Amino acid sequence: MDLDLETEHRDGATVLTLRGEIDVYTASRLRQSILDLVEAGTPHIVVDMARVDFLDSTGLGVLVEGLKRVRSREGTLSIVATQEKILKIFDITGLNKAFPIYGSVEEAIGEPVSGV
Amino acid sequence: MSDAARGPELELVFPPKPEFVRAVRHTVAALASMRGFPDELIDDIKLAVSEACTNAVVTNAEAADDDGAAHPVVVMVEADEEVMELTVLDRGAGPHSEISGTPVELSTEDLPFDRALSLPLIRGLVDELEITRREGGGSSLRMRLHHRAPEA
Repeated sequence: MDLDLETEHRDGATVLTLRGEIDVYTASRLRQSILDLVEAGTPHIVVDMARVDFLDSTGLGVLVEGLKRVRSREGTLSIVATQEKILKIFDITGLNKAFPIYGSVEEAIGEPVSGV
Repeated sequence: MSDAARGPELELVFPPKPEFVRAVRHTVAALASMRGFPDELIDDIKLAVSEACTNAVVTNAEAADDDGAAHPVVVMVEADEEVMELTVLDRGAGPHSEISGTPVELSTEDLPFDRALSLPLIRGLVDELEITRREGGGSSLRMRLHHRAPEA
């Protein structure tokens, strides 16, 4: 599976939804998407990884670079991750302390979760 | 484990290009699945071999910049019901030194990614890790992951 990227603007945030595999071959597309959003002045980016099947350190490096760029402009970059295999990668590398990680896009952008 | 004299159970040799890393991890994952490894451990195996192969791809591609040709990356896999052993060889002499001269178009500028997280990630995934220099240059990275029995 390759990597599909989709952007959507919701309530002051831009949600970058990823589907597929993020590795050394596909990470450049993720990098470019994040750079484009930062250059366009997007202040709040939510990277939805709930449907990501594979993530490696190359993808993590791209996210870290994006976080640094967004923070330099006083913006935010949040992660949505629900799968244990993805959360584990953030835990092992200690990046769970660097990124705000949420269980849903609604939580990440601060929308009330239905039924709560 | 297979008989050492017979060679590894699975051996993959591929040009140092990023697009091949995916094929390697899916092939190794298929072998792990055939051996009955649980999905959680297969995820660890896929990530560990992918990290090691990516490092080897970058290393071999960087070396190719000087002479225009690059050594292939070599992955050897041994697996039984208890343990999977993965060995990834990057450029250098040794048993695969005769397989060289693969032209690559990859420049290190194509890989502007931070690789600093890779080894810490591998260490966090595998049960045993051994990195040795190979005679004539290059390195061998050997990883072992033990089949964890399901919790009672």
